[in-house]
Amino acid sequence: MSTADKVRINKLPTGVPGLDEILGGGLPEFSFNIIAGAPGSGKTTLAHQILFANATPERPALYFTILGEPAIKMLRYQQQYTFFDPAKLNNAVRFINLSQVVLEKDLDAVLQEITKEVEKASPGIVVVDSFRTVVRKALGRTTEVELQSFIQRLALLLTSWQATTFLVGEYVEGEIRDNPVFTVSDGLLWLYQAPERNSIVRKLQIVKLRGQASVPGLHTFRITSAGLQAFSRTLGLAGQVRNIPSTRRLSIGIPELDKMLGGGIPEGDSILVAGASGTGKSVLATQFIAEGIRQGEPGIVVVFEERPQEYAERAGSFGLDLKTPRHERKLEILYLRPLDLSVDETMHEILDAVQKIGAKRLVIDSLAGFEMALAPGFRADFRESLYRMITALTGVGVTILSTVEMNESFTEFPFSTYSISFLTDDIIRLRYVCIDGQLRKIMVVIKMRGGNHSKDIREYEITSKGVVIVGDRLTDYQRLITGIPVRLNRSGNNEEQLSKS
Amino acid sequence: MSLPESRYLAQRLLTYEAAAGKNSEATESAAFRVFAKLRRPLITLAGVAGFRSLLSRALTLARAEAPSLSAVQVAADGSLQGLDELEPQIDKEQAKEGGAILIAQLIGLLLTFIGEGLTLSMVQAVWPEAAFDGRVFEKERKA
Repeated sequence: MSTADKVRINKLPTGVPGLDEILGGGLPEFSFNIIAGAPGSGKTTLAHQILFANATPERPALYFTILGEPAIKMLRYQQQYTFFDPAKLNNAVRFINLSQVVLEKDLDAVLQEITKEVEKASPGIVVVDSFRTVVRKALGRTTEVELQSFIQRLALLLTSWQATTFLVGEYVEGEIRDNPVFTVSDGLLWLYQAPERNSIVRKLQIVKLRGQASVPGLHTFRITSAGLQAFSRTLGLAGQVRNIPSTRRLSIGIPELDKMLGGGIPEGDSILVAGASGTGKSVLATQFIAEGIRQGEPGIVVVFEERPQEYAERAGSFGLDLKTPRHERKLEILYLRPLDLSVDETMHEILDAVQKIGAKRLVIDSLAGFEMALAPGFRADFRESLYRMITALTGVGVTILSTVEMNESFTEFPFSTYSISFLTDDIIRLRYVCIDGQLRKIMVVIKMRGGNHSKDIREYEITSKGVVIVGDRLTDYQRLITGIPVRLNRSGNNEEQLSKS
Repeated sequence: MSLPESRYLAQRLLTYEAAAGKNSEATESAAFRVFAKLRRPLITLAGVAGFRSLLSRALTLARAEAPSLSAVQVAADGSLQGLDELEPQIDKEQAKEGGAILIAQLIGLLLTFIGEGLTLSMVQAVWPEAAFDGRVFEKERKA
């Protein structure tokens, strides 16, 4: 069977940002779906969002309410969401209460009532909320076979009448097995919410979806005044085409450091700047982004420890003008501080900003701040998500500079406490060193995946122009990287430990 | 005390139904017909039990303003019993006033629970030929 011979399944928008991508393009038209989850997980809101996104006067949406949340209260609360369009009510969106039929009659009567309304309205979308109530009520006086037959006939009716259906129910996971509702359904969307220390984490899963490939796994979502917003765990980057690697080198904004890097940072690399507090990581990162702006490359700075205004003002004290490019939308400084962000949500915010201004350079200052800004429950996923984002962004040619704070040790020289060197192509290490009774600073390029680089250990200072490398490589000392170097006595073979001099 | 907006809308509905009644052979009062027409969509939306609860509350509130309504009852199916029987027992104007107050209280509850937009949209669906939009309340608010 050729592709042309196959039936084409239209995909309906959910109206939920991010969810269509997770579903593999949208909801299959005429499918029979279940929205399951515990009370408060967002089932009704999701159903309303889908309803308002698709209902038209020609193909209206029918919302059957059954013994769940009273319809008047549901309308009272749901109209608070921005997706709720009052103009659609009674016209494109119709609410029908079936409580009495369910309470007083049998499943055949329920089906008859639904049939009557469906044949009258010819709806495009049908929601039954809560379907669980129908089943519970029926179980007392109906055999399992009769229940299965009812569900089968309901699915047949609604599909034949070309309606896309959503049965909303408060199910628990153990019920999936042996429940005829789940067997008959084409799609099963499960919503979860769980406390993680002091935060609430909301996740959704497409447990089942016939006819198209959805993104597997648990995806975080948030409920705001705009309704649900979903964040795909693949960050919407699945199947993204990678650019052909560039051979261009980008200036970091410090000429001597560019030389140490073999001509600059290879475009599309992820570079890590590691060092203790006060060693100038943020200044160096600012110089990198300012140099990009100067070269006509829009940039994003993600900060966690100071506000954008303060960040721009601090850059100004080093003679770097970030206010103008911000005003011209060539630079965006994102301040992400809320302590209950999910990692994917944060990544999405960064990706949106990158796409919005067509950023070529990205600074994450710092990784420790990033991790701290996440809800505790998401910190375990931090490295995995960071890896996905960095891989995706560098794949399309964005050059990323991340900073990471190191505990200064005078006995070791670790590259990173985060074990994230696998995330980075290049590493620059900044460190304090004790020379001639002064606490001075040195830098060294530890790693360049793209080629050769200088092995020199260079001293630098933070001046009014930012990070400036001073002098040639330090040839008169040994054990510089320990922080407590030894001066070489070139006239003889004696070594003198500087800290003792 | 019912809100001026709900009183105004109730009065408009009653006037509309009274005019419509003159052109037909309807024997029920305008208030009764307004109830009968509102009852259908409200039962569709909220179910019989939901509508009955709303109407019972509206009746309790209305009785404080119009004691003559004490003889009126809400039946199990959400219909009103005793409303049309009021007129022979008391002054005609008093009976009309009682009906208007009860409708105003019911509309007032809808305004409280689902807001002006949805209430007007529902009323408009019942009386499509009449013009009810947000402007119906503007004059009342200014007053």
